[in-house]
Amino acid sequence: MTAAVSSVGLQVISAFTMIMDFVILVQKTLLRTISPPYRLRDIIRQLEFVAWESAPVVVFSVSFAAIVTIIEASFHMKLVIKNDALVPGFAALLILRELGAVVSALLITSRVGAGLAAEVGSMQVTEQVDALKILGIDPIRYLVVPRFVACVLGGFLLSIIANLVCLFCAMLVSQIKLGYSPGGFIMAMRTFVGFQDLVFASIKGACFGAVIPIFSCFYGFRCKAGAEGVGLATTNSVVTTSVAIIVLDFLLGYIFSFFY
Amino acid sequence: MLTVISHIIDDIGGGIFFLGDVIRVVSRHKISFSRVADQIWKVTTQSMTTTALAGFFVGAISTIQFTMQVKEFGALGYLGGLATSGTIREVGPLLIAFMLSGKVGAYTSAELGTMKVTEQIDAIRCLGANPILEIILPRFIGIIVSSFFLLAAGLMMSIVGGLVMGIIFAHINPQEYLRHIPTIVTWSSLVSGLFKCLCFALVLATICTYKGYTTTGGARGVGTSVVNTAVSTMVGIVIMDWLTSLVGESVMTVVMGL
Repeated sequence: MTAAVSSVGLQVISAFTMIMDFVILVQKTLLRTISPPYRLRDIIRQLEFVAWESAPVVVFSVSFAAIVTIIEASFHMKLVIKNDALVPGFAALLILRELGAVVSALLITSRVGAGLAAEVGSMQVTEQVDALKILGIDPIRYLVVPRFVACVLGGFLLSIIANLVCLFCAMLVSQIKLGYSPGGFIMAMRTFVGFQDLVFASIKGACFGAVIPIFSCFYGFRCKAGAEGVGLATTNSVVTTSVAIIVLDFLLGYIFSFFY
Repeated sequence: MLTVISHIIDDIGGGIFFLGDVIRVVSRHKISFSRVADQIWKVTTQSMTTTALAGFFVGAISTIQFTMQVKEFGALGYLGGLATSGTIREVGPLLIAFMLSGKVGAYTSAELGTMKVTEQIDAIRCLGANPILEIILPRFIGIIVSSFFLLAAGLMMSIVGGLVMGIIFAHINPQEYLRHIPTIVTWSSLVSGLFKCLCFALVLATICTYKGYTTTGGARGVGTSVVNTAVSTMVGIVIMDWLTSLVGESVMTVVMGL
């Protein structure tokens, strides 16, 4: 009985410590982001890794997602209202509100987030983080902040790019498959979505981007010794970030629904 | 640029050959059922919470998005059917499979990669056993079966999530929400959703075992192959999504004469 109670208590305590550690990391990151010195060179280097090198994969995946969306939407419409007049609106809605931002964020998570967690985790395991501390360099300012800023900017930019590419591909496919002219597609699309949707999608992208480096670095700093520890940190960070992105998507969708 | 493209083609070819190897081993040898069941149990229990959580929120999101649109047409009654159908056919399998590729795919390729790097796989070969039969195959089949189950469970949770949000956000009573699901979600939507799940599971299992099995270069190599697995599974899943939709559509056209 005592053993059971104490084990539950230990788990509760460790869970609380973990949450507190996380909150402290978030707070420190935000504080150091807005206070100088700004490490511009690092930020730009990270931005290249986060945004520029992820762009081909994101564009590729998103254009396939657009094709699927058009096919499925036309199937739906034929089933429910017996014609496909609403396909552009329906597809544009799905793309701008959900697919564009979430798919690109999940791709960045698996590419950048996993890479970050592995990088920070191996630094932690090989005691490079401790070495930084001894040299008087703040690891959060040196490691986390440039990645945080780069991921926020990168998420913002990639979300816009992904949405526009996705819409463009949807337009192409609907011309080939359904015979809509681009003008007709845009006219039909505009009845459902407006410019504000793109703005909301880019805000979503920035928020998703902010989540990625925080979780990756959090798990990276907590990394246990050994190759297995790094692998575990990577997996945990990817899973937690993905779940956090979907939950955040839900929250943001709920909040934005009051602004339409 | 050319080296990148040739590298990608090399990877795809290697993956297909690996799949061929695995299928050859399946057809020639007897598979130990208990080991496969072990893997199925492990993967399923590990990822059930994550998948269920993801599925719930995916369903909730699509209900919120559909509510705003359907309201303008004054057709709130159809919300249940539309949201459920959209989730099951398109958004649900894709997002839940993304989640699984992060969880199951990364874990498996890290495990196999560590085995490979620490020469455990070579040790098995030295003992005269076939590493594909002993190590890869149970994981391969286990991942396929349990991913299929997990995706199906996630889809079910997405219906629940949609229902809850329909009640809270759109203020529809549950009977009204549920009543229109069968009118729009036909057996074909279900079959196409589950077929998609099966294809995604196959892609996931092939890529993560292949990437893990061909890891080289120490602890750093394991990290690289984990990242590569996650990215290429996602790209593979998106392409598979397109292929299944294409095939599904043509099958539907033939069967239903749409």
